[in-house]
Amino acid sequence: MRQGRASAGVALGITLTLVISLVPFVWMAISSVTSTRELYSVPPHWLPHAPTLDHYRTVLWASNIPRYFLNSVVISLGSTAIALVLAVFASYGFARFRFRGRRAAQAFVLVGQLLPTAAIVVPLFVILQTLGLVNTYLGLILVYTILTLPLAVWMLTSYFRAIPVELEEAAIMDGASRLAILFRITLPLSLPGIVAVVVYAFVTTWNEFIFALVFAQDASVKTLPIGIAEFMGEFTTDWGAVMAASLIMTLPIVIAFLLLQRLFVGGLAAGAIKG
Amino acid sequence: MTRRDSPIRRARTSSTGLLFVLPALLALAMLIVYPVIDVSVLSVTDEGGSFVGLANFRAAVASPSTLAAVRNTAYFVGASIVCQVIAGTLVGILLNRRFRGRGLVRALVLLPWVVPGIVGATMWAWMLHTEFGIINHLLTATRVTTQPIGWLTDPSLVMPALIAINVWKLFPFVAIMVLAGLQAAPDELYEAARVDGASFWHEVRHVMLPQIRPVLVAVTLLLTIWGLNAITIIYTITRGGPANRTLVVPIQIFRQAFESFQFHDAAALSVMFFAATLAIVALYLRVFRSADEGGVR
Repeated sequence: MRQGRASAGVALGITLTLVISLVPFVWMAISSVTSTRELYSVPPHWLPHAPTLDHYRTVLWASNIPRYFLNSVVISLGSTAIALVLAVFASYGFARFRFRGRRAAQAFVLVGQLLPTAAIVVPLFVILQTLGLVNTYLGLILVYTILTLPLAVWMLTSYFRAIPVELEEAAIMDGASRLAILFRITLPLSLPGIVAVVVYAFVTTWNEFIFALVFAQDASVKTLPIGIAEFMGEFTTDWGAVMAASLIMTLPIVIAFLLLQRLFVGGLAAGAIKG
Repeated sequence: MTRRDSPIRRARTSSTGLLFVLPALLALAMLIVYPVIDVSVLSVTDEGGSFVGLANFRAAVASPSTLAAVRNTAYFVGASIVCQVIAGTLVGILLNRRFRGRGLVRALVLLPWVVPGIVGATMWAWMLHTEFGIINHLLTATRVTTQPIGWLTDPSLVMPALIAINVWKLFPFVAIMVLAGLQAAPDELYEAARVDGASFWHEVRHVMLPQIRPVLVAVTLLLTIWGLNAITIIYTITRGGPANRTLVVPIQIFRQAFESFQFHDAAALSVMFFAATLAIVALYLRVFRSADEGGVR
């Protein structure tokens, strides 16, 4: 009896949570295939009477969104790659060595995660301008690296620590170099952690807004979030096109996430709980 | 440790470790330490580069919009965190129950957090649209209200609406962390409570909450940082309006620097923002440090 009531309560709670979480996505998808005339009809149509791909045509052929999509891919991949390489070495150093200043260095990395990005956007702009990196892929890739590097180091360090050190000791006895050990033993064993870091870094940079707003002012490097914000005009907004563009931007993230979520959530939770 | 003579032990004490760590540290130093120094210099100089003391700080503080920005930021961050932690904890506890399709539900609930902030903003802005939004249609069709509500235009409603969107975006993160914390607990702990005949709420209060406390401490700190930095949703939907009602500090910094081109005032505001963030984090860590055995270190 009590069991029955409890599971009814759980079912209700789960349903409510799912509705709140997912209804906006459903409405976005429906609106993206509803003609402008139907979108602005009162009362609104729950389902379009005449579904149309006009908004997708607008976004794909008559806007900068495809170019921004490409920019987002290049910048996200570039910065994910740099962050991953730096994080693998740093995490291995933190996990397997004792050296002077290690604790201070780890604390420094953690502070990097806590840094308010809005507070350094002005000086970063000045630096990038001095280096001629405003409105370049490289400039955005570099600034995005600092967004993701601290948590990447944090997650990977806890992964490496969880690998039994005896495996590496045996290899050292056999005369293997540190780098060989890292690449032949430690990395293959921490694949879930690597995947978690890659997904985290890619999603973070793909979604980032304020750095893109400041450092990418030219159409040749603007990223998708900026493109969509431009679609939201101050006075008139083509809502159908906005929904279509939003869906195009969301799709890669949702697919990647649903495929990799087990690894990703596991890695994230491990990073947070084990510290 | 007893492995005093093993080669790995010797290797550990060498400076090889530093070599592994150095590239990451250099990158962070270049893109974090240097900007922090640079912004400090900018904040006490003028366009010509000469030292002006605290004049920029006075100018930044004297601006009435800065005061509004500080107030709005405190409101936005405070209200968001309270709602996110409560909603996230409830959902985390729900997801910890055994039911069919839990893996799928867990993945779907996380979607709001995973999708870009800009998409969260566009979806909700469209649903909350005064004339054509689906939410106002539902409310008027069911006669909850007679007039459509200006969720994003009414000065007294726009901030609560943005907070609600922000809560929707981030409660899944809290939920998944709470779930991880609950699952880290040995099953015996729950069984013992049940054998003792504990009610569900008793179990929540005396078994689960102590178990997830370190997680909540860590998560709240992250939410604070993210909240202070939040700009995407607010900037996209309102640009800080109407009448500065949703102007937050990051938007104010952005406006001063890149719309008014007053870099030095913006730098002064950045320095104060940075110092305030550090103070909040330090205070927070100080208060929770002692009890924070399993959390973020």
